[in-house]
Parts: sequence; C-alpha cells; structure tokens
Amino acid sequence: MITIAISKGRMQDDALALLSKAGVRLSPSSLASRKLALPDETGEYQFIFVKPADVPVYVEHGIADCGIVGRDVLLESEADVLLPLDLGIARCRIVVAALDPKVITRSFGMLRIATKYVRIASEHFGARGIPVEIIPLSGSVELAPALGLADAIVDLVETGQTLKENGLCIVEVIRESTGLLVLNRASYQLKAGEVALLTSSLSCAIEGATAA
Amino acid sequence: MSVFEGWSYEEVLTPSVDYYALFEHGMGQAEAQTAFRFSDSDGQMLSLRPDITSSVARVAATLLAERDRPLRLCYAAPVFRRQQQSHAEWRRENTQLGCELFGVSGEAADLEVLLVAAEILKDIGLADSFCITINDVGIFNGLLKQLNAQSQSHETLRRLIDTRDRGELKNFLDRNCDNEKVRDALYKLTELTGKKETLADARRMISNPDSVAALDRLGRLWEVIESLGLDGSFEIDLADVSSLDYYTGISFKVFIQGLGYRVGRGGRYDGLTANFGRSEPAVGFVLSLDSLVEVVSQSTSVNGKVEPAQSIGATELRETFLSAITERSKKKCIRINANL
Repeated sequence: MITIAISKGRMQDDALALLSKAGVRLSPSSLASRKLALPDETGEYQFIFVKPADVPVYVEHGIADCGIVGRDVLLESEADVLLPLDLGIARCRIVVAALDPKVITRSFGMLRIATKYVRIASEHFGARGIPVEIIPLSGSVELAPALGLADAIVDLVETGQTLKENGLCIVEVIRESTGLLVLNRASYQLKAGEVALLTSSLSCAIEGATAA
Repeated sequence: MSVFEGWSYEEVLTPSVDYYALFEHGMGQAEAQTAFRFSDSDGQMLSLRPDITSSVARVAATLLAERDRPLRLCYAAPVFRRQQQSHAEWRRENTQLGCELFGVSGEAADLEVLLVAAEILKDIGLADSFCITINDVGIFNGLLKQLNAQSQSHETLRRLIDTRDRGELKNFLDRNCDNEKVRDALYKLTELTGKKETLADARRMISNPDSVAALDRLGRLWEVIESLGLDGSFEIDLADVSSLDYYTGISFKVFIQGLGYRVGRGGRYDGLTANFGRSEPAVGFVLSLDSLVEVVSQSTSVNGKVEPAQSIGATELRETFLSAITERSKKKCIRINANL
C-alpha cells in the first residue's frame, strides 16, 4: 500500500481532482468524513491530510511514501525528498511586494522584510547582497507594510487581489510555484513498481488536463 | 564484525577528536561543515569526528604505508554531526559500521565490499528487505565534461538530478546547455533506475568515452551480481549523484524496508589517500548501526541466542565468589544473587 500525504487547504481540491483522474479515488462518504487518514476505493492507497509544511516531513521520514505539496513549502523546508513531477496545479508566484516599488533600491538602512517564507526571503536578498532584517509572520503578511512593521513583504500571490486591496504592488517575482509530487527516497527504491505506476498515471492525467 | 573478520578485515580504532582540517580534506568542505568544532590550546581547529573514512584513509597512508596491499580495514565506532532537527537522519551521535579496502582497483574490489555489505544485512535477518542501489559517478562526470560548464552550474545540475526535479531540470538545461545530445542524456538520467535494461537505455543516450567506460564498468559488475543470483537485492540508479566530490567510481546506497531513509552508503574514492601523501585506489562503505538496530528490533524474526545466566548465591561470601570464579573460568554466564 502507498501512503499519500496531501496538503490541506488551498491545494487539496486540485490535488484530489488530479488523483481521481489518475484513477485514485476517495469515495464520497469518506470525503465527507472528518477523518485525517483515509483509504481509497481500491484499498491500494491511503490518504493522509496534513498541514502543507508537514507534508515534506512525513515524506522525508517515510511515514508517507509520497505527497503533494507546493514548491514554496519545499523551498522553505530542508527536507531531502525526490520531486519527479510538476503537477501544474495551484499555480502562483512568490513575490516581493511593497507600498512603493522603489523602496528596495532607495532604502539606505536595513530593509525590513515581513514574511512567512524566511528561508526564501533571506536567500533571495542574500544572493543580491541586499542587507535585510527578516520579520517572521505566520499570516496576514500584507498588513505589515501598511502598519509600518516592514518596508516590504515576501509572499505567495495567486491573483494579486489581496495585494491590491492592501495598497501593495509587486516589486519583483522571485519564482513561480506549483504543486509537486514528492517521493520518499527509500520508497522510490523499495516500492519502485507502485511508485512508478502512480507517477506515470499522474503524468498522463496532467497531459489530459492540458490537452482538454 | 564477525562478517568483516571472515573476509579478512582488521579492526582499526581512530581518535574521536582530531584536526578539523583532516575532515575538510577527507569529506569535502560541504560535508565537513556538519562537524562539531572547537579550538585547541594553540588555536588549531579541532572537531569531534564526523566521519571515520577520513581517519582510516590517513592511517592507511601513514602508519600502515609499509604494509602489503591490498589492505583491509574495518571499524565500528560513533561519529558526531550537527544536523537539522527535522531531518529524518537526525542524530547527534551515530554508530557507524564500515570497512575500507585499499590498494586494489577494478570490479573485484568493488564486488568484494558490496558482497560484504550484503552478507552483513543477511546475517541480521534482513535478507529479503534490503536494497542496494549502485551507480558509477563517471557517467555523470563524463556528461559534465562535454558541457564545459562552470562548477557552479555543475552543483545546480547535480542537485536537480539527485532530487529528480524534472521540471526545474528541464528549465535549467534549456537555458544553459546548447548541446542537444548532452541535454537529452542529462534529462534522461532522472529516469534511469532499474535493473539491467537501465544500462542498455543509457547506452542509447550516451556516447562520450568517459561515461561509456563507466557504463562498461557498471555492466561488468551487474553481470556478476546477476550470475550470483543477487540481482533481486540490487538496483541500478544512474540518478544517484549525491556526493560527487568524494567518490570517483562506483557509488552505492543501502535502503531497508520499513525505514524511510538510507541506512548506509559507500563507493570508490581513489583520490582520498593522495591527501595524506600516498595515492592509491580505495573502496569502502558504512552502515548506520543505530538504524539497523531500529529495524531489527522491530522485526520479530530475529532471535537473540543469549545463554541464560546462572544464578549464584550462598550464605557465605567466600563460597559464593569461589563458585563465581570457577564458573567464570569456564566462560559461563553468571549473576550474583543480591539477597545474600
């Protein structure tokens, strides 16, 4: 049996839709339940629903053989996992945003950056040699510049609506982020057949989705 | 350790505390960073050993330089590393079991250490649940040479192939590699995992002499593995390019059913002993004893054959200990009854 860890929230519906196209389905009754660990209809797969940041943890430790999680989360974690397939779901961008786009180049002192993505932000500015003070927040990051907590933010943007409503504009796009299939290194070898089957049927499902 | 003895390996003991520079030379800077470091009274940087291979290679090149080759050494000792708390292999202290074979190159030596590793795993009752993945880093290095890219992009490529990050790999290759053949071959590496047919697939993609020589080496190795009927426990994985600055030929990793991370690794590192003034071929592996204990203690198939201790206790002290000494001289297992 293969255990699949799914990020709860934003990505969950897209991930389940894609899996069901690939032939891995949850019955409607189990979908309605509030259990966090569920078998699929065939009994060959088991789903576990965990917070996005915990997906790489479950997969790295081999508790889950594979998982579906955003690249933003993977970049932020230090988990050592395989990422063989870009699922193309939940596409969004990781950006630097500020009230005034010139703040990055005009600031003389230390820039203050509020973010949920501490590693991504410090790597991004570190690579450019821009000294920053990172202020870790766990949500509603868009508030920080308006209230004067930070000069700019590093955050995930899907439509840009939240940024706009809080008076922020995008200064720089750091990179795109999409949902990925991640695999445990040991499962990749020890359950090679099952894992390859899931990977190939998912990749067919993606091609079907883009063709349609 | 009895398996090592059976294959004529001699045990060596190396210092727990040593100069940090040793490990920097031995493991490469990136890996040596994981060591716990502190300074000596003269300001020299010391560290708790993060690795034993480096010390053993030094012993082979210095103290045992005059000994006949091949030189077979083995050890079981703790190593110390700083690691991320969340990391699956997280342990500050980890006991490593390993061996090194100096002074012989070629498939015979590679096979010897692979079979020693396999025997150890069988001996502890894991015959059906282990998998050793093998690769030859020459294949990847040969392709890199064709690219003549900068070492920085080597590292990026290595990481992308190692994590099978196909989406990013494709983007990176499209931007940085104009040789179509090499580009396709590098991309294909991420899929080349399996048995014998993997090598045939690779041959179709790869034509440069270095990579082909490496493929030939791996092919000869696989033939023997197959003819010994061991191919069920082995797998070829050409995308395993994790520690390149260390290995120079074959490299392998050990996985066990029931554990989500690797329990051992090894390979050929012909360049290492040159750091200590004597260049010679070498191949070896380490297994994490702590991880093995974890799996073995989970499985019920292993029965420890411990002789029950004989309880000794008489009313008189002299009598008690006289019989204790007599029993011990016969190498019997005893336990002194405390309620005297």
